Amino acid sequence: MDFKKEYLEIAEFAVERAAKAAAGGNGAGPAAQAEAYIDDAESLTISVSGRAVEQFNAVKEAGIGVRVLRGGKMAFGSSNDLSKKAVGELVDGLVKKAAFHSADEFNVIPGAEDGAVMMGGAGGDFDAYDPKIAEVPVQEKIKKALRLEAAGLEASPKITGSLMTIYQDGSYHKYLANSGGMSGWFRQSVCAGVAYLTAADGEARESGQAERGCVKWADLDPEVVGREAAEKAVGMLGAKPIGSAEMPMVIAPDVAVQIWSYIAGMLSADAVQKGRSMFAGKIGSRVAAGGFTLVDDGRLKGGINSAPFDGEGVATRTTPLISDGRLETFLYDAYTARRGRTRSTGNRSRDGYKSAGGIGVTNLYLKPGDAAPEAIIGGVGRGFYLTTVLGLFAGINSASGDFSIPSAGFMIEKGKIGAPVRGVTIGGNLFELLKGVEAVGRDLTWFNNTASPTVAVNSVKISGSGK
Amino acid sequence: MSGNKSMSRRSFIGKSAAGLTTAAVSPALLEMLLGATGCKTGSGPASDIIIPDDVLARAVALLMSRGADFADVFVERAAIGSVLSDDRKINTKTTIEKGVGLRAVKGGRTFYAYTSSFEPAGIYETAGYVADAAAAPGAASAGAPSVVRLRPLVAERAFPIEPMPSDADVEKKIALVKAMTDRAWSADARVVQAMQLLRETVRQINIAASDGRAARQTLGLTELMAQTYVKGADGRLQAALDQRGAYAGLDYFKGDDSFEKIVDGAAAKALKLLEAVDSPRGVFPVVFGPGMNGVLFHESCGHGMEADLVFKGSNYKGQIGKRTAARGVTLVDDGTIPFFPGSYAFDDEGTPAERTVLIEDGVQRGYLCDKVWAGKLGMKSTGSGRRESFRFPPIPRMRNTFIEKGATPAAEITAGTRRGIYVCDVGGGGQVDPVTGNFMMGVGEGYLIENGKITRPIKGATISGMGIQAMKSIDLVGDDLKLFASAGRCGKVQNVPVGFGMPTIRVRGILVGGKGEAWTDIEGGIEGDGKGK
Repeated sequence: MDFKKEYLEIAEFAVERAAKAAAGGNGAGPAAQAEAYIDDAESLTISVSGRAVEQFNAVKEAGIGVRVLRGGKMAFGSSNDLSKKAVGELVDGLVKKAAFHSADEFNVIPGAEDGAVMMGGAGGDFDAYDPKIAEVPVQEKIKKALRLEAAGLEASPKITGSLMTIYQDGSYHKYLANSGGMSGWFRQSVCAGVAYLTAADGEARESGQAERGCVKWADLDPEVVGREAAEKAVGMLGAKPIGSAEMPMVIAPDVAVQIWSYIAGMLSADAVQKGRSMFAGKIGSRVAAGGFTLVDDGRLKGGINSAPFDGEGVATRTTPLISDGRLETFLYDAYTARRGRTRSTGNRSRDGYKSAGGIGVTNLYLKPGDAAPEAIIGGVGRGFYLTTVLGLFAGINSASGDFSIPSAGFMIEKGKIGAPVRGVTIGGNLFELLKGVEAVGRDLTWFNNTASPTVAVNSVKISGSGK
Repeated sequence: MSGNKSMSRRSFIGKSAAGLTTAAVSPALLEMLLGATGCKTGSGPASDIIIPDDVLARAVALLMSRGADFADVFVERAAIGSVLSDDRKINTKTTIEKGVGLRAVKGGRTFYAYTSSFEPAGIYETAGYVADAAAAPGAASAGAPSVVRLRPLVAERAFPIEPMPSDADVEKKIALVKAMTDRAWSADARVVQAMQLLRETVRQINIAASDGRAARQTLGLTELMAQTYVKGADGRLQAALDQRGAYAGLDYFKGDDSFEKIVDGAAAKALKLLEAVDSPRGVFPVVFGPGMNGVLFHESCGHGMEADLVFKGSNYKGQIGKRTAARGVTLVDDGTIPFFPGSYAFDDEGTPAERTVLIEDGVQRGYLCDKVWAGKLGMKSTGSGRRESFRFPPIPRMRNTFIEKGATPAAEITAGTRRGIYVCDVGGGGQVDPVTGNFMMGVGEGYLIENGKITRPIKGATISGMGIQAMKSIDLVGDDLKLFASAGRCGKVQNVPVGFGMPTIRVRGILVGGKGEAWTDIEGGIEGDGKGK
C-alpha cells in the first residue's frame, strides 16, 4: 500500500476551498477555518467454517471527513468520492450549513498553540505499520485463517465446530491538513484473528471465544488463538449455576480489559464536563487501591493505535490516568481542553473518515505487578474466577457505576480452580471494585489495543439460581 | 470498514450516546443524491436506476464467468444526515456515500468485494477479481461470459414511504431539535444533562442477480432519540433513554411516537430511577409489559433462529417440529409491516419480503433464511438476506420480531402474581451466545410486584437465562399486543434496523441480577398453579 501524494493534496485543497468559499460571498459572514482528514484503507476479512473458506470480503476504500469552523460554529460532512468536484461541493455545503449550528466558544481547529503538530511529511515511526500485510499473498492469508479454526478443532475431541472464526487485516494511511498550517500523514496496520468454537460432552454444550490483534503479520499466531478458544469451550462443559453469595473474585485478563475500557470511557473529559461521569471532581483523590496504575499511551512502540498525532493533528502522549490508585487526569481533545482550560492529551479518536471524532483511548493498559497469576489464585480460599461476561455495556450504569453483569467462570476452592460456573450475575459498584483490588499479576496480555494482567478483588455479589 | 482498527465483537442493540452522531440532510444534498436520477420524494416504491441495466447485466455475467453458482451486484447511494443536540449545543453531520458490492457464491462460499466507483471499467475489474477468487482450482479459463437478462421485480405489496425523510429543510429540523432541547432541560430541576438526536438515512438501492431478477427500492429511515441524566439529592446520577425509528418522514411521529413523548419518556424514566430501590436478585416470576420488551425475544431466541447460526450449531438446530416454547406462544418475524424499521419491499438480494412464522403455539416451524443458508439447510429463502450497506454481503437477519397476542386479559397477569417484578422496558441493550442460548438484558424501567400490585420502582436489574428454557417458562400470554418501531441497530458483524413487539407476558421464573435482596422462593411468587410448560 502506497503513500498517495494526491490525497494529501486533496486534503489541503479542501481546507483552502473552505477559506475561499467563506470569503467569496456565500452570504456575508466570518472567515472559515477547516480541517480535512482522509482515511485510505485496504482490508481483507476471511471467515472459515468446517475447514473451508466461508466468506471472503476484500475492501479498498478511501474517504474524506471535513470540519468547517465559522464564527464559533462547526459543521461536519464526509464522502467517499474524492474527486475535486465532489469534495468542493461537500465543502461549499458545509460552509453554508455552519451558519445554522450553535456557536460554541470552545469549538477549535487546533493550531500550534493547541498542540497540533506542524510538519509536512511522514509522522514518527512507532512500529505501528507492517508493509508485509499488503504484500502477503492471499493464499497465505487463507492458510492462516484455516489454521485459526483447525488449531481449535484439533485441540480436543470434545470440540464440535466453530460458530465464527475470522481472520481480518487492514492497512491504513491517514492524511490530515488544517487551516492552522498542519499537514501530515502516518500509517497503521492490524492483523487479527477471532475464534469462536463449540464443545460438547454428552448433553452438555458450551462455547469459547478468543481473540488477538497485532500490528505485524508474523506476530499473529493462529495456534494460540484457536487453542485458547478450544480450552475455554471445553473448560466450561458441565458448568452449573451457584447460589447467591458474596465472595472474593479473580478476573482473567481478557475480561479485565473490558472493564478498564469502560472505566476509561468514564474518564473522558467530555463525559465529565457534560455531567455524565461519576469521576467528576475526583482528580487527585484515591479512586482505586494502591498498586493500580492505568495508562493510555499513544506513543507506545508497537502499539496498534500508536501514531504521531491524533485525529485532529495534536501530538499524542503517554498519559497515566490512575497512578497507584490516585486519579491523575482525564483524557482530553482540543475542544474539552479549551473548555477545561488545560492541554489536549492527544486523544481525539476517529473511527474512520465518516466520524468527526470524539475522545477515545489509544493504547490502554494496566501496569503489571509482580505476582504470578497462579499465586494470585492460590491466595484465595473460596472465590470466583471470572472468565466470561455477557453484555458488559448493558450491565453497567455509566452514571452511577452500579453493575449487574451476567457472567461465567470457575469456582476457586482452597486456592485451586474448581468447577465451571454459568448462569450467574455479578453485581456491585465499579468504584468499590477498583478500591477492592488486592493483587495485580505480572501476566500483561494484549488484546488489540488494550492490555491487562490477572487481577484479584476482595469482594463481589453473585446472584445465581443454584443451591 | 475504513479505519476500523478492532475486530467486530458480537454486540447487539447498543443505544449509548457515544454511538449517536450525525447531521441533517439539507435539501441541496438530497437533490444531489436523488435529483440526478429524477427521483421524486414520497412517490412510493422508487424504481430509479443508478447504473444502467446493461452494465449490471455484464457485471453479473463476469461474476458468473468462472463457474460460480450464483452472483449478484448491489448498487447503493446513501445520504445520512442528523441534527444532534448535546449539552445544549446543536450540530449537524452529513455523510454521502456510494458503492457497488459484487458477490459470487460457489459451493456455499461467498466471495465479495466492493468499489466506490460507478465507472463501468472499475465495476468490471472488481467483478473479475471476485470471480477469480471464487474459481475452484483448475477451473476452466474465462470464456465469453454468458449474457444475463434482467427482469425488474414488482413488489407484491407496496412499500410506500410517505412522506420521505428530508422533505423538511435543515432550518426547520434544527428548530424542532432546539424545541426538544428546551423541553428536555425544563422537565425537572434535577436534569443535569440531556441529548436529542434526529437522524435521517436515505438509501437508494439497485440489485441485479444471476437468476435474472432486478430489484430497486429507496428506503428513507427517520430516527429520533432522547437521553436524559438526572442527579438525586444524594448526588447519584441516573440516566434513561427513549427512541423511535420508522420508514417515514417526521409527520409519522405523532401521539405516543411523537418527539415530545420520547423526550418526556427519557426524563420520566430517569427520574423514576432516583427513587428506585435496588432490584431483588434470584429466580422468580417476571411480568414483561407489552411493546418495546419484544427485544428480549429478539435477543434470547431470534438470533439462534438465523439460518447461518442454526447451521453452525445454535440451540435451535434440529428443532423443527419440536417444542421450543410454552403452549400459547407464537413467534413471528415479519418484513411487511408498513413503516416499521425491519420492513422492506425486497431484501438485499432481491427476495420479496414476507411474514415468517417461527414458532407456532410453542412448536418450532421455521428459521430465517437468505439464499446461501437456505441452500445449506435445504430450505427456501424467507426474504431475510440483509446487508448494512454495499460494503457487506447479505446474511440472515431478523426484521420485525414479535410474539402474537394471547388469550389472557393483560390486567389479570400482574394481579395473579404474588411476588415478582414488572418490567416496563429492557433498557438499552443486550447480548446472546447463540450456541448455548445464554442471553442477558438490562432493565430500564421496572417495579416490584407485591401481592398482585405494582409497587416501588427498581433499578440495576438484569434479566438473563437460556433462550429455549425462558420461552418454555412463559405461563401467561396477554391479549394486548403492541408493536414497537425502534431506532438504533441490531449488530451481527454488520448493523441493520429492526423492530419488535409483544403482548404482556409472564415468565414463571427467570434469573434476575441486582444488588438488592436475594429472593430464593419461586414457589411463593405465583397464585395457584401457573399455566404453561
